[in-house]
Amino acid sequence: MGAPQPLQGRVDRSGQGSRTRQVALFNAQRKETLENEIQRLESILKLPSRREFRYEVARVVRRDLNAWWQQIVIRKGKDFDIPVGAAVVFSGGVVGRVVEVGAFTSRVELITSPNFRMAANFEGDERPVVYQGVVQGGFGTSVGTVRDAPQDVVASTQLPLKLVSTRLGGTFPPGLLIGRVTWLEPGSTGIFQAGEVELDSQLLSLHEVAVLIPLYPIDLDSDAP
Amino acid sequence: MLLDPRAIILFGANVLLLYLTLLVNSALASGSIYLLILGPMLVFPALYLRHQSYFICTLFTGLWVDAALPSAFGLFTIGFLFAGAFVFQMRIRFRAEHNYHPIMLAHGLNFSCILLVTVAMGFSYFSSLGFWLQVVVTSLASHLVLLVVAPWFFNFERMLFELCHMDTEPEDFPTL
Repeated sequence: MGAPQPLQGRVDRSGQGSRTRQVALFNAQRKETLENEIQRLESILKLPSRREFRYEVARVVRRDLNAWWQQIVIRKGKDFDIPVGAAVVFSGGVVGRVVEVGAFTSRVELITSPNFRMAANFEGDERPVVYQGVVQGGFGTSVGTVRDAPQDVVASTQLPLKLVSTRLGGTFPPGLLIGRVTWLEPGSTGIFQAGEVELDSQLLSLHEVAVLIPLYPIDLDSDAP
Repeated sequence: MLLDPRAIILFGANVLLLYLTLLVNSALASGSIYLLILGPMLVFPALYLRHQSYFICTLFTGLWVDAALPSAFGLFTIGFLFAGAFVFQMRIRFRAEHNYHPIMLAHGLNFSCILLVTVAMGFSYFSSLGFWLQVVVTSLASHLVLLVVAPWFFNFERMLFELCHMDTEPEDFPTL
């Protein structure tokens, strides 16, 4: 309804739109080039495909920690696309894994549970070991066990080793703290070492956790070797 | 009447007791103390109601507990029905209008619930000393708290009967 725009204004607006399109096109080409570069580097280094995660922060609504089960309930479920098996972390490291998803809540198995097992490695040492939860005594700090540690690894109370997650399991991103190992002893086979892992005391009083939802979930039918 | 209205009140009271127990357990988690207080839920339905109403109330309570706790599904539903039926067939021996017999029953039933969940969920950890230590601590804490909770819960259920203008007497009176 206003007065007709001057010719100069229309040319400027058209030019601005053209520039925006060009920038978008450039960004799309740059993204594609970078993705190709990542794939090329991964194939040279024989790395598994990089999995990216979306963080979904959720409040803890219940804690069921006793001799029979070690689980917490968080206030997000299918309504936030939480998948079964997703990793759960907090500021102190690994919390556990989602074992059951309801409409609005999910149940998380803690790393203290004997049913929980994951691949791990010591910080600065890429060789994989196995972490597993144990039955908790109920007093003192929470503990777990580490198995299949190489013979040359030494841990002591003065120099405890940090046990961190590895990408080998496919569920957790690498480098998340699991706990500290203060001693190792020869395992039952005699080939590897085993020891106790001291876990974060905050695990028993969590208020908020983050669920790591993989953006590109593994398809077991097509991704399995 | 298929369903005694008191069954609905007792079911509601059971849901409330479970909810409060879970709240307390969440707060006590950092102290490694857990309370399993399920025994009182079975006492009044078995002592006060006719068999159809008892069955419906206990069945729904068991389903509710199974849904709330991470135990194998059906464990408490089946366990409650068996334990409740055991009390039901002997209910003529108990005086439900006072708290003494219901409290004794609540302790017995609660212990059987702890036994049931220990056998069903912890069978593979029987060789672990830590497991038994925690079971003993849980049992002691639960039964100590039950000494206070059970009388409160039974009086609360009787008060609900009165508030809702229900029959406050059990179906069968004890033999004298």
